[in-house]
Amino acid sequence: MSMVFQEPGLLSGTQPIRTLRGSLWKVIRGQPSATIGAFILGSFIVLALLAPWVAPYGLHEQVGPVYGHPSWSHPLGLDDGGVDMVTLLMWGARISLVVGFAATFVSIVIGGTVGLLSGYLGGKTDSVLMRITDYFLAIPDVPLMIVVAAIWGPSLTHIIIVIGVLLWTGTARVVRAQVKSIRERVYVKRARSLGAGNVRIVVRHVLPQIAPLLIANTVLTIAVAIFDETALAFLGLGDPSRISLGKVIENAFQRTAITSGAWWAIVPPGAAVALLILSCSMIGRAMEDALNPRLKAAHLSARSFRLRPLVGRGKDAV
Amino acid sequence: MSSLLEVEELNVWFDLPHGGTLHAVQGVSFTLDRGERLGLVGESGCGKSTTVLGLLGLLPPSAELSGRVLLDGVDILAGGEESVRPHRWVDLAIVFQGAMNALNPVQTVQAQIAEALEVHGLASGRAARARVGELLESVGIPRERGERYPHEFSGGMRQRAAIAMALACNPSVLVADEPTTALDVMVQAQILELLDALCRDFGLALLLVTHDLPVVAQLCDRSAVMYAGEIVEHGPVDALFHDPRHPYTRLLFAATPDLHANGAPVSIPGAPPRLDRPLVGCPFHERCDRAFGRCTLERPLLRGLGGERAAACHLNDVPAGVV
Amino acid sequence: MRGADYVIKRTAFAVITVFVALTLNFALFRLAPGSAITNLSRVPHATPETKLALKKQFGLDKSKGEQYVIYLQQLARGNLGISFENSQPVSSNLRVALSNTLPMVALGTIIAIVFGTLTGVIAAWRRGTGTEHLTVSTALGFYAMPTHWLALMLVILFAGIFPSGGMTDDFLIDPSWFTHVKDVAYHMTLPALTLALVLFGEYTLIVRSAMLETLGEDYILTARAKGLKPRTIVRKHALRNALLPITTLIALSLGYIVAGSILVETVFSWPGIGRAVYQAVLQRDYPMLQGAFLVLTLSVVFFNLLADLLYFRLDPRITS
Repeated sequence: MSMVFQEPGLLSGTQPIRTLRGSLWKVIRGQPSATIGAFILGSFIVLALLAPWVAPYGLHEQVGPVYGHPSWSHPLGLDDGGVDMVTLLMWGARISLVVGFAATFVSIVIGGTVGLLSGYLGGKTDSVLMRITDYFLAIPDVPLMIVVAAIWGPSLTHIIIVIGVLLWTGTARVVRAQVKSIRERVYVKRARSLGAGNVRIVVRHVLPQIAPLLIANTVLTIAVAIFDETALAFLGLGDPSRISLGKVIENAFQRTAITSGAWWAIVPPGAAVALLILSCSMIGRAMEDALNPRLKAAHLSARSFRLRPLVGRGKDAV
Repeated sequence: MSSLLEVEELNVWFDLPHGGTLHAVQGVSFTLDRGERLGLVGESGCGKSTTVLGLLGLLPPSAELSGRVLLDGVDILAGGEESVRPHRWVDLAIVFQGAMNALNPVQTVQAQIAEALEVHGLASGRAARARVGELLESVGIPRERGERYPHEFSGGMRQRAAIAMALACNPSVLVADEPTTALDVMVQAQILELLDALCRDFGLALLLVTHDLPVVAQLCDRSAVMYAGEIVEHGPVDALFHDPRHPYTRLLFAATPDLHANGAPVSIPGAPPRLDRPLVGCPFHERCDRAFGRCTLERPLLRGLGGERAAACHLNDVPAGVV
Repeated sequence: MRGADYVIKRTAFAVITVFVALTLNFALFRLAPGSAITNLSRVPHATPETKLALKKQFGLDKSKGEQYVIYLQQLARGNLGISFENSQPVSSNLRVALSNTLPMVALGTIIAIVFGTLTGVIAAWRRGTGTEHLTVSTALGFYAMPTHWLALMLVILFAGIFPSGGMTDDFLIDPSWFTHVKDVAYHMTLPALTLALVLFGEYTLIVRSAMLETLGEDYILTARAKGLKPRTIVRKHALRNALLPITTLIALSLGYIVAGSILVETVFSWPGIGRAVYQAVLQRDYPMLQGAFLVLTLSVVFFNLLADLLYFRLDPRITS
C-alpha cells in the first residue's frame, strides 16, 4: 500500500471494471473521449454499411471533369476519373473497415489463444510461446507485410491474413499477463480443487475476466490494422480490384493530384483514415484507463494545495 | 513558554473526482513541546497520515487546508506552499515507511542524504559527504554503504537510512509515519530502540503516527487517538491504556492481541463512516457499544477532563451511574 | 562486471533474433513457389556469364538445405546478389541507400524525442488543466495521422517553400561542399519533419504516461518533504526515473520508425532504404527486396539491443 494517498473514499467513483457485462458501454457512456470516439466510429460504420444506397453517385460513374473542383453538388470535388469524392470515401471506408475488423479478428483469435495457453498452462508451453512472440516482435511489421504481400500477391484475403498474422503479438502479451494473474486468484484455485476441468474454468472464470481488456486491445488493434492497410495500399500492394481509403490516397498520389492542385483528392481520404484511427484510439485508451485506474495520485504538479481563510481566530474558528 | 509545535483546528478537504469533497481531517488540534513524544493512533484511513502531511503542506492540489500550524509561535502554513517550504526538513522532518519506495531507486543513499544538506545550504561537496558518513554511523550503518543504492539495502537498513536522512538538517521535530509497519518483528524492535535513543540524544520531539498500540506504549509519553478525521481522545499513554474515556479508545486497546491474556482478540464490528457527507451525531455511534440517544443527534466536542486529558464523548458528561 | 549476466543474455537474444530474421528472409524469398522470386540469376540485361556465375555463387541448382548454408556464407562475405534493376551488387546499392536514410531519420527522431519529452513533461506537470488536454489532444491527433498522408499534406502546405522531392537539386552542377550540404538539408526538411511530427505525437503520450506514473511514487513525496523545489524534483527525481520506461518505449517504436521511413521516402522520393523497398516491390526486383528487408530487420534488432544496454546503464537495480 502506498504511503498515503489512498485518499480515502476517493476510489468510490472509479471502481475498476471487472465484469464483461456492459463494460464497453459503460466506458463509452462515462468518458467523454470515448463517447466522441464511439460516435465518430459509429457514424463511419453506418455510412459505410449504407454506402450502396446512400452514396450520392455511382462508384465508377464519371460525373465531371478530371479533378473537378469542389462545388455544391460535389462538396469534396472529383478524383482523376471524374468520380465524386464523397462517394469514393463512403465506399472506401467500407473496405478499410472490413480489412480493419477482419484482420483484427484474425489477430485477436491467434493472439488471444496464444496468450491464454501461455498464461494458463505456464511452464514449457509458456516459455516456448513467449520466445516465439519475442522473435516476432523483434521483426519490423511493415517491411515484413510488404514482402509477404509482394510475394504472395495482392488480394483482400491475403492482406487481411498478413496484417492479422503480424498484429497478434501485442494481444498475446496482454492476455497472457492478465490470465496469469487471474489463475492465481482464490476462486480459480477453489474451482480446481472442486474438480472443475480446465476448459470449464477457462470458459466460466477466465474468459469473462479478460474480456474487457481484450475488448480494449481489440479496438486499439483495429486502429493499427486500418493504418497498415492504408500503408500497404499506398505502396501499391492493396487489392487492385477494391477501393479502400488507402487506395484512394494512392491513386491521388500516383496520378499527380498534387501538381494538379487537387488537394481535395488527398486531404479528405486521409482525414477520414485519421478520424477512424483517432476514434478507435480514444475508445481503446479510455477503456484501458478504466481497467487500470491510476490509484496513486501524483504527489507533485504545477498547482499546490489551497488554503481556506479562517473565519474568526483561535480555537473557536470554524 | 509556548510549545514547539502547536496545531490549531487543522482541517483538510479533498476534492472528489465526480464532485463533492471528502473532509479527511476535521478540526484537529494538539501541541508538542520540545523533547516530548506524542503518538497519533487510529485505524487505517482515519486521517492521521493526512494530518501530519498537512502540517508541512505536503498534500496534492486536490486538497484544501484550513487551520494554523505554529512552529515556535509562527504560523508556517499561512502563506501556502512558498512559506512552508523553507521549514521542511530543517524544522520538521518526516520518516516514511522505509520499506516502501521512499528512497529514490536510481540515486545512491549517500547522494540523497547529501542532497538534503545541499538544498538547505548546510554543506556541500566533501564536507557534505563527511557529514553523511557521520549520520549513517549514528544510525548503525557503516559509512561505506552509503555509496550503494537503496535496493541493495534490507528493509530495516533502508529505514535506518531514512532516519539518518531525516536528521541531516537538525530538525527539532521528527515525524515518524508508520516507521515499523512492513518490517520484521526483530527489525521493528531495533528501529524503535534507535528512534528512542536518537530522540533522547538529540533532544528531538517525536510525533509518531501508527496503528500499532504497543509501539506507542513503548516510545511515547502522550497519545492522541483519531477516528473519522478527528481526535476523539488524548492524554498520557498510561491513562489511555488503563482508564480510557472514549469507547473507541477502549475497544482499540481491547483489540490488541495480548500474548499473556487468555481472552480472544476483540475486533470492532462495522466500518468507519463516510467522510464525503456531513455527519450527524457522534461519528462512532454506530459501532459503539455504549451509545445512547444523545449520541445519534449531537456531535460530542473534545472536552478537557483534567490532568492533561481530553475526550470527545457524551458519556463523560453523564454523572456516573446514569446511562 | 555488474550485470554481466544481463548484457550477455540480451546480446545472445539479439544474435538469435538475427538468425531468425536471416532464416525468415531465406524462407520467404527462396522457398516461395515459382522461380520468379527464387531465381537470383534472373537479372535482366545480364550476360550469360554473369547469370552462370550467380547460379554458382548461390548454388541455385542445389538442394534447399545446401542453398541455406551457401546463403549464410555469401552473406558473411557481404554478397547479396545482383539487383534486377540496375545490375549492381545489392550490397553497394543498400550501402548508399542506408547512408541517405540515416541522417534524415536521425534528424526526425531526435527532434521528436526532444519536443515529445518537453511536451510530455509539461502535460504531466500541468495535470488536469486545459494545457494538458490540449497537449494530449494534439499528440493524439498527430499520432492518428497516416504518415504518408501527413507527408502529402506537408507537401501541399509548403509547396514552393521547401522542395517536395529528391535529396538534391539536379540542376546544381558540381556544387561546393557547403552548397551541397545546404541543398541536402533543404531537401531533408520536409521528410524529417513528417517523421518528427508523427513520432512527436507518440512520444508525448509515452512521456506523459511515464511521468504521471513516476510522480505518484513515494520518493517524490520524500523529495518534497525534504524541501526541494518542484522543478528540481521533476528534473532530478521524476525525469531521471521516468527515463527508464521512456527508453524502453522509444526503443519499441523503432519498428514503427522503419515503417514510417518507407512511407516518407516514397512520398518524397528520398533515395534511401525505405524507397529502395518501394522501388523493389514496384519493379519486382527481388534480390533488392530481400536485401533491403534484411537490412531493415537487422537495424531494428540492433537498435533494440542498444536500447536494452542503455536501460541497463540507467537502472542500477539490474545486477548480476
